[in-house]
Amino acid sequence: MSQAISGRRKQTGMTEEKPLSKLIRIIFLVLFDAAAVWFIQNAFAKGFDQLVIVFGIIAVMFNLIYLLPQAYPFRWMAFGLGFLILFTVYPIVFTIYVAFTNYGDGHLLTKEQALPIIEKQTFLPEAGKSYSWTAFRTEAGDYALWLINPDGETFLAKPGEELQPAKPGDPGIGEADNKGIPATIEGYKRLNPLLAATDKNLINIKFGIEGGTTVQVRSPSEAAELQIRFKYDEATDSVVDQSNGDIYENKLGTFTTKDGKTIKPGFRTVVGIKNFKDFVTSPALRGPLVQIVTWNFIFPTGTVLLQFSLGLAIAIMFNDPDFPLKKLIRSFLIIPYTVPALISIIMWRGMLNSEFGVINHFLREWIGWAPRWTTEPFWAKSALLLVQMWLGYPYFFLVCSGALQSIPSDIYEAVTIDGATSWQKFRFITLPLLLIAVGPLLIASYVTNFNNFGVIYLFIGGGPAIAEASTNAGHTDLLISYVYKLAFESGGRGVQYGLASAISIGVFIIVGAITLFQYRFTNMWEEVSENV
Amino acid sequence: MSSISQTYQTLRTSQKFQKRFSIGVRLVIALLLIFFSIFPVLWIISASFNSTQSLSTQSLIPPKPSLINYQRLFGKDPNYKFGDLIYEKWIFNSIKVSGISTILSLFITTMAAYAFSRMRFKGRITILKGILLINVFPTLLALVAVYVLVFQFGEIIPAIGLNTHAGLILVYLGGSMGLNIWLLKGFLDTIPRDIDESGMVDGASHFQIFWNLILPLLRPILVVIGVISFIGTYGDFVLARILLNDVNKYTLMVGLQIFTAGQFDQKWGVFAAGALLGALPIIIIYYVLQDQIVGGLTTGAVKG
Amino acid sequence: MKTKLSLLFSLLLISAFVLAACGGGATETPAMEEPAPAPTEKPAEPAPEPTAAPVEPAGTLRIWADDTRAPILQDLADDVLAAYNLELVVELKSSIRDDFQVAAPLGEGPDIIFGVPHDQAGAMVANGLLAEIDLGDKKADFSPVALDACTIDGKLYCMPYATENIGFFYNTDLVPTPPTTWDEVLTIGRALKAEGKVDYVMAVVGDATYDMYPIYSSLGGYIFGKDANGNWNAQDLGIDSPGMVAGVQWVADGVAAGDFPADWDWANNHALFENGKTPFIMAGPWALSRIRESKVPYAVTNFPSNGFPLAGTQGIYVNVQSENLLLAQAFLTEYVATEETMYKLYEVGQRPPAYLPALAKVEDVDLKAMAEAGKNAVMMPSIPEMGSVWGSWKDAVALGARDAKLDVPTAMKEGADKIRALIANPLTGMINVPGSYQAQAGCPGDWQPECKVTAMTKGDDGLYRSGPFTIKAGDYEFKIALDGSWTTNYGSDGKQDGPNYKVTLTADGTIEFVYDPATKLVTATVK
Repeated sequence: MSQAISGRRKQTGMTEEKPLSKLIRIIFLVLFDAAAVWFIQNAFAKGFDQLVIVFGIIAVMFNLIYLLPQAYPFRWMAFGLGFLILFTVYPIVFTIYVAFTNYGDGHLLTKEQALPIIEKQTFLPEAGKSYSWTAFRTEAGDYALWLINPDGETFLAKPGEELQPAKPGDPGIGEADNKGIPATIEGYKRLNPLLAATDKNLINIKFGIEGGTTVQVRSPSEAAELQIRFKYDEATDSVVDQSNGDIYENKLGTFTTKDGKTIKPGFRTVVGIKNFKDFVTSPALRGPLVQIVTWNFIFPTGTVLLQFSLGLAIAIMFNDPDFPLKKLIRSFLIIPYTVPALISIIMWRGMLNSEFGVINHFLREWIGWAPRWTTEPFWAKSALLLVQMWLGYPYFFLVCSGALQSIPSDIYEAVTIDGATSWQKFRFITLPLLLIAVGPLLIASYVTNFNNFGVIYLFIGGGPAIAEASTNAGHTDLLISYVYKLAFESGGRGVQYGLASAISIGVFIIVGAITLFQYRFTNMWEEVSENV
Repeated sequence: MSSISQTYQTLRTSQKFQKRFSIGVRLVIALLLIFFSIFPVLWIISASFNSTQSLSTQSLIPPKPSLINYQRLFGKDPNYKFGDLIYEKWIFNSIKVSGISTILSLFITTMAAYAFSRMRFKGRITILKGILLINVFPTLLALVAVYVLVFQFGEIIPAIGLNTHAGLILVYLGGSMGLNIWLLKGFLDTIPRDIDESGMVDGASHFQIFWNLILPLLRPILVVIGVISFIGTYGDFVLARILLNDVNKYTLMVGLQIFTAGQFDQKWGVFAAGALLGALPIIIIYYVLQDQIVGGLTTGAVKG
Repeated sequence: MKTKLSLLFSLLLISAFVLAACGGGATETPAMEEPAPAPTEKPAEPAPEPTAAPVEPAGTLRIWADDTRAPILQDLADDVLAAYNLELVVELKSSIRDDFQVAAPLGEGPDIIFGVPHDQAGAMVANGLLAEIDLGDKKADFSPVALDACTIDGKLYCMPYATENIGFFYNTDLVPTPPTTWDEVLTIGRALKAEGKVDYVMAVVGDATYDMYPIYSSLGGYIFGKDANGNWNAQDLGIDSPGMVAGVQWVADGVAAGDFPADWDWANNHALFENGKTPFIMAGPWALSRIRESKVPYAVTNFPSNGFPLAGTQGIYVNVQSENLLLAQAFLTEYVATEETMYKLYEVGQRPPAYLPALAKVEDVDLKAMAEAGKNAVMMPSIPEMGSVWGSWKDAVALGARDAKLDVPTAMKEGADKIRALIANPLTGMINVPGSYQAQAGCPGDWQPECKVTAMTKGDDGLYRSGPFTIKAGDYEFKIALDGSWTTNYGSDGKQDGPNYKVTLTADGTIEFVYDPATKLVTATVK
């Protein structure tokens, strides 16, 4: 461990790299490349094409970073970038890809996964017979089946031998039990159906003569002269129904006959810009979109302002060394952050319940009136912001407390001598310096809350419903929860990942534009920080 | 002479009074804030001792307080079998997973932030902005993508596949190049360059400067970010749920969800008890590190 | 200070790796050194071997179940291992269906999933995730209604293990004789309220959709109508039917008068009943344990005014991609579908078993009363269109009855319109003659039931006509299709999915069609 660190220490010296450091760097890179090649090879062998590409990109990136001297700064973040690409960028690329496919209910599997399922389907030909079966097995593991057809006739079937009519009591065959099945067959042991079923191969054994009629186990209660129903023809990308000759062609991920019969399951396939077209004509745009977008801006703004101002106020208020019990007080104030949000939100929902909640109970007792938190749009929004403030102020309290430490105390000493008031100190020293460190976090928090699905969903599920809207929208719905409702909850067509992805991209364009706009402010910070 | 000293005296007392008054006011505010902060928590405590499984119709002091929810949590109620749910194990798993991913991601984040703050290179601003932009993307589908990814990992290296803590930790590390970089970079920017330059003069390498000079100064903010990311990981209930299958490997939040899952029979009392006990490790961690977070003033972390 | 800090870091790092190693995760090299695990790496701990079994089990079944069912399956595991040398790996999942939909397509799903309501199975079938189930001669032992609920597209996809519906609960202390009409409910409740004994006449649970259905059904309200063959008809939506509107109006009046609470939270309203603050509640078997625990004196009875509830079926499903298809099925039919196991499942789940021999053993008065209250119950429609109903129905009832934001008829009309917009087919009513001539008639291609060019128009005589279309000489085939899709189509025998009509043009000419909706036959005139 310590060796690794010391090696690292030398290796990253930029000014004049020592030979040892260079050696370690090269050794590391060789090891890494060996691992990467092995990994990519395996991924390729298993057919994980996307993984091969993603990992290939990362491997090339690593080599460039650790070989090129001008890429030196990136050596400090190579691993971070690797993880970023794997778990953040890749899912985004995946989403974009999905937006152009029909991925969703009915088309969940890939074609490679769907075909075996389709080809596994069997049918019983018109002349075919079906039996109930009991398995017998030799010590060596060879099977025989005792078959009973619906007319009560009994047969003995072995692989490679013609089906033999047989009766209990025949030579080599024991007496029948109460179900008409012989208890013993010479050389074989009778198996309980469940024990027989533990052999995964049993369903694949063909009893009878290959080429003639063979009987196969179909289910715990049935063995039959089965034939494969569907045959896939790769050249025409179509499936032929062996039972009646129908031809099913691949129509956007579903094998369909000309007269509309389909085979389930369908599979994932690229459908071009269909999802985007659907989005444009979807009810989403006819719904109360303006209202939702407006609230979608108010919600994160309000959240960040409330959380930050309360957190900062507390941090400053108790940053005074003379303050009594401040340790204890701080410990109490951090508590909201320590309780899992999952339960806090649900707890607040209970406390703010209009009818039974404790808050309204007290309000009614004291002032004879209480807001209807969950049913009146205004109060629902206020309640949500209140809960958000409660959930988030300790975060900013922590961050600000940490950041306040970075402000050199001599600056304060200097201006105190100059006779600055506390407000002036705050306004002209604390706040600007703090914003350098915390400013980006405000944007980050804004952005996170812009898509804060969890709170909206857990609190009152976006409710109360908007009256006279053409879609199921709620007054506290954000774009993301609205998309969720449209794509996953209210679709008669089930979950549609493809459409959801297309809408997500639409939402991203809006949010991305806002974020880019806000870079103007970050650039401001950038300048400030350059000057320190 | 005496009048001057008298004036001085009054001034002093008035200053003292002002100080006391300000402390008094702040104490009152503190009390109100504490009430605001802990009231819902008291309510959770009350729910955990309440045998009625409802979260609103209870009173602050439960009419028939009982330990039944805690007994159920630890499988000590014979009439209420959950099978072998191992609550203690869940907490251990959560601490393990969050602890390891926090420490590793602190390393990644800190080093990257140092490079962003101290070095000037092509693409610096672009990457910083890119990180922010990437985090804005509404990843409704990220879950599916991440699941596939971890599944494929597992097919190649079973130790980091589905249903392993290592796989989960790797996924959490994906967030380490996230928004915390901005926080740390901002903090680093407030540390004067003179410190680096003095190091450069002595012929120290970047890494030596980082390790010996800068890192100690970062202590308070590292502790803050560490606590934040620990809490974030500890509270995650989405990724862990989908990646872990085995009850023994569940993290706390995944385990607790079992009690809320029934559409019609949510066990709120047990859930509240579990959530409360689950919050204890975080409270302890915060309490232990409190001085590190806010106590650094007198040690004079930053000297120009 | 410096040394202390780096010491601290090293310590933390070391402890991190020790922890990682002892926890059975990957023995990873530090992330700053190597992100890709080295090829030589082996899992620190092999997959857990069943230590209880003296020999390797002959087979393993992975099962996902919820917290109620998982323990009982876990208990069974020892029996199964002893009797059949078969290992059960029971995994407890909090959202079985969602997680299954993610895991199963990758082949990572369990062999069996346990306890998903029948109305959620449709999507899983469409996705090709479920295997058909053959119950063999055990089929006769199951409740026919439950089997019906498990049947999708004519194939059985689950083994039902419980049926469930709500019943009418009343507080026996406060109400000696149960009411027989909804008006009586109001009279009794208001009297109690006037005496100050209760706060509310009746609890209102959940979204007041599923949970209040008996009120709506007693007034003639419904969700979907049925067609002549007894199948759900998605085009006949009953959310704004007069009965439904009257029922919701009844709830709205009660809320406005303060008879019903204006908050419908599930847990809160159950608590109301359990604390004696309301004499009536409509609740399901899932609430029995908490109601009993509260010690409130209660009884279950039939719904007033002949109301009937919606019913659901809990099923057990087999993953189609399971390597143990036969074993999973055999396990279900041989081991689970037995009186003993089904009765055990009943004991933990408190749902009336769908397995009749086990049902016969049930002696619980409340469950019997609930079954009685549900004897006319309608199975929840499992057609995919049902997915579009819940959200808008819920919102409409909340807007109209709970929050009084809209008057009830408007609210229900709007709600129903939203649902119709989601499920409706803009081509409803279209009668078309898709066939191999269509491309020549101006359609984008042949065999397109949605092509407007060849759509028929109704004449004064009640017959539908299309054409003439100019086409080249040759053999042609066609059919009749309704509503712009193949869902309803008639062949040359006038029957659904019948054979194609055939026609031959010896020379270039025109073709005209006349369709008689009474006989469902078409006549083609060639010139």
